[in-house]
Amino acid sequence: MDFVAKSDALHGRVQAFARGQGDDEFEALALEIAQFQARNIPAYARLLEARGSTLSSFADIVAVPTDAFRLARVAVHPKAMDQACFVSSGTSSAARSVHPMRRLDTYQDLAVRFATEKLVDDPHSRRVVVALAPHPGSPPTSSLGCMMRALMVALDGRALSVDPDGALFNPDSLERWLVSNQGLNFAGLERAARMALERQEPLLILGTSLALVNLLDALDGRTLRCPRTTTVMQTGGTKGRKLRSTAPDIAQGVARALGIGVERVVSEYGMTELGSQAYSDNLRMGADTTAFTPSPCLRITPVDPVRLRPMPDGEPGLARFVDLCNVDSAVCVLTQDLVVRTDQGVELLGRRPGAPARGCSLDLEDLILHRSAPQS
Amino acid sequence: MTTAIEERRQRVLQLLDAARILADPATPLGQRARHELPQETGLSPENVALCLEQHLETKVAACDLDALLAKSTPCRKAHVLLSANVFTAPLRAISLAASQSARVDVRPSRRQPLFTQLLWEASGGAFRVVKELGPAPEDHVWAYGRDESLEAVRDEMPAGVVFHGHASGFGVAAVTSESGESASKVAVALVRDVFPFDQRGCLSPRIVLVRATAAWARDLCQEVVRALSAANHDVPLGTLSEDEAAELTRYRDTMTYTGELLHAGKSVIGFDERGNVLLPPVGRNLHLTCVEDFGSALATVTSHVTSVGAPSALHAEFAQLLPRARIALLGQQQRPPLDGPVDKRPVAEVL
Repeated sequence: MDFVAKSDALHGRVQAFARGQGDDEFEALALEIAQFQARNIPAYARLLEARGSTLSSFADIVAVPTDAFRLARVAVHPKAMDQACFVSSGTSSAARSVHPMRRLDTYQDLAVRFATEKLVDDPHSRRVVVALAPHPGSPPTSSLGCMMRALMVALDGRALSVDPDGALFNPDSLERWLVSNQGLNFAGLERAARMALERQEPLLILGTSLALVNLLDALDGRTLRCPRTTTVMQTGGTKGRKLRSTAPDIAQGVARALGIGVERVVSEYGMTELGSQAYSDNLRMGADTTAFTPSPCLRITPVDPVRLRPMPDGEPGLARFVDLCNVDSAVCVLTQDLVVRTDQGVELLGRRPGAPARGCSLDLEDLILHRSAPQS
Repeated sequence: MTTAIEERRQRVLQLLDAARILADPATPLGQRARHELPQETGLSPENVALCLEQHLETKVAACDLDALLAKSTPCRKAHVLLSANVFTAPLRAISLAASQSARVDVRPSRRQPLFTQLLWEASGGAFRVVKELGPAPEDHVWAYGRDESLEAVRDEMPAGVVFHGHASGFGVAAVTSESGESASKVAVALVRDVFPFDQRGCLSPRIVLVRATAAWARDLCQEVVRALSAANHDVPLGTLSEDEAAELTRYRDTMTYTGELLHAGKSVIGFDERGNVLLPPVGRNLHLTCVEDFGSALATVTSHVTSVGAPSALHAEFAQLLPRARIALLGQQQRPPLDGPVDKRPVAEVL
């Protein structure tokens, strides 16, 4: 199929771009991906036409609203070619976002490359990696879980035993996935921490905010002895649940509980609809850093919510993402998250208050009901 | 000598007398309403006039008033906290309070205080307009607004207050080709419920569930475009807030990608023949979706639906599906009888 060859070529160029190789410029490559998607996704062609875009320049790229991922199949390829389908988390009965992936290697390669830059002190050394998250399944249905698994493979890659030499490495072992229906496996985390101490290696804990709150509850004021080089990746994962603490409060609490500096709790920003991530840069820049740095394959632009034009620096707007990793879905995605661009990067300001200030309005997102399977 | 119930009845009727003064374009207060409300509400002058003349409760059937009085509990004092939303809504809200007590304190919406002020003047001061409410235990409080605002208000109430919180909601319409009515007739009726108040009330339908073939539903869509275009010409759409305009952008792009989007002047109609339910923003926009059964289509929105417009053949079905929603004929959703609150979902809560 012609589009497969074209897609594969684009994947190759995106991976090269992420490695800093090849001749591609970000904007030209994004435009080419958008043109490819317009040729192969009639819905995107329709959106471009409705918005009067001819896709002749980077500025002409039209964003696909994240709601589209809940209601339709956003993909250049048919379902039979899915290598995985990422589904957003959530506890409500409302429709969830579905992001079909024809290839996982680009996603995993880019995720590992950028995470290594933001979560790891010394990329040449090994560490013990565990996740305060449930196993993502096979094929993975959680983009976050898929990324965590890729990080276990790339940044650890050894059996979870004191002497890993000769032992079989299994990234799917439930000793590494420390959240299940039974809740948080605190003993498993203690074991991983002990192992890292004995090996004199850093520990990397990948966790959702919700799981980290559960960890703090389990510790109930006690501390868990960990290597001082332990790093925690803290990410969303609170959909449908109200946390009593804010993300910075959780980070402070986790740092105290693990006996590490708060700059070692690094925030990750990602979503089902995106292949690329952004991180707070506090491991390099210090604990005061609140801005997020996007991956080199991701550009975040605040836009005004009515005309969708870029906002000047310092003024908040809806987050519009151009993500080179989304070769086979939507290279440009519009969310309802508010962001502002600063000297340090992009600050997240939370969700735009979806409901207009009218008594009878509700957040549209809560009320989407998906009745039919997304179709190609 | 009048009985207590008769006094309660008279207090409500006194407010309806006041409403008639405002509905009348020949009275000074009626003229002031027509002159000043467009600016305050963002509605077009034509829409303000239409709403005053056709959607303000100036008459009540005896049986409806009896029902209202039977449902309301007399109390020492009643309090009303109003939201900016449907500008005529204060009349019913204050009438409910007046049916309970001769002492009614009203805190109008800060953004839209005018109608309450005019009603106060026209009624000869039948209630007190206050800046803050100060309820005592056993007083009744009627509060209208967004869910989170109501939660905050409720938390501030003293113990013993009887709280009636009326939060967010919206209307749906349900149609079927089985009723035998032409798509054009259905569309005209449907649109009658859409353009008053620019769809900002919780009675206005925003989602239309169509149980019919896709071809019939598509015909209906075209007829709705025609009817809505005509309505927009006769009674122009007012001004949208930035938030409303932002929601419209979001809905427009989502439906362009996931379904079909039709335009009727400044209004849009989203069509989804696969049964996806999506709430379009206010401002005379509709989401039409083909469904096989109404119950599953409404699964995630049941608790938010305050009103259903449907042909009479479907009323029994919806009475079962949505026992707390008002059910009316298409075209009648914006004219609920004055027999209690428009939104029948909440129950009084003793704090």
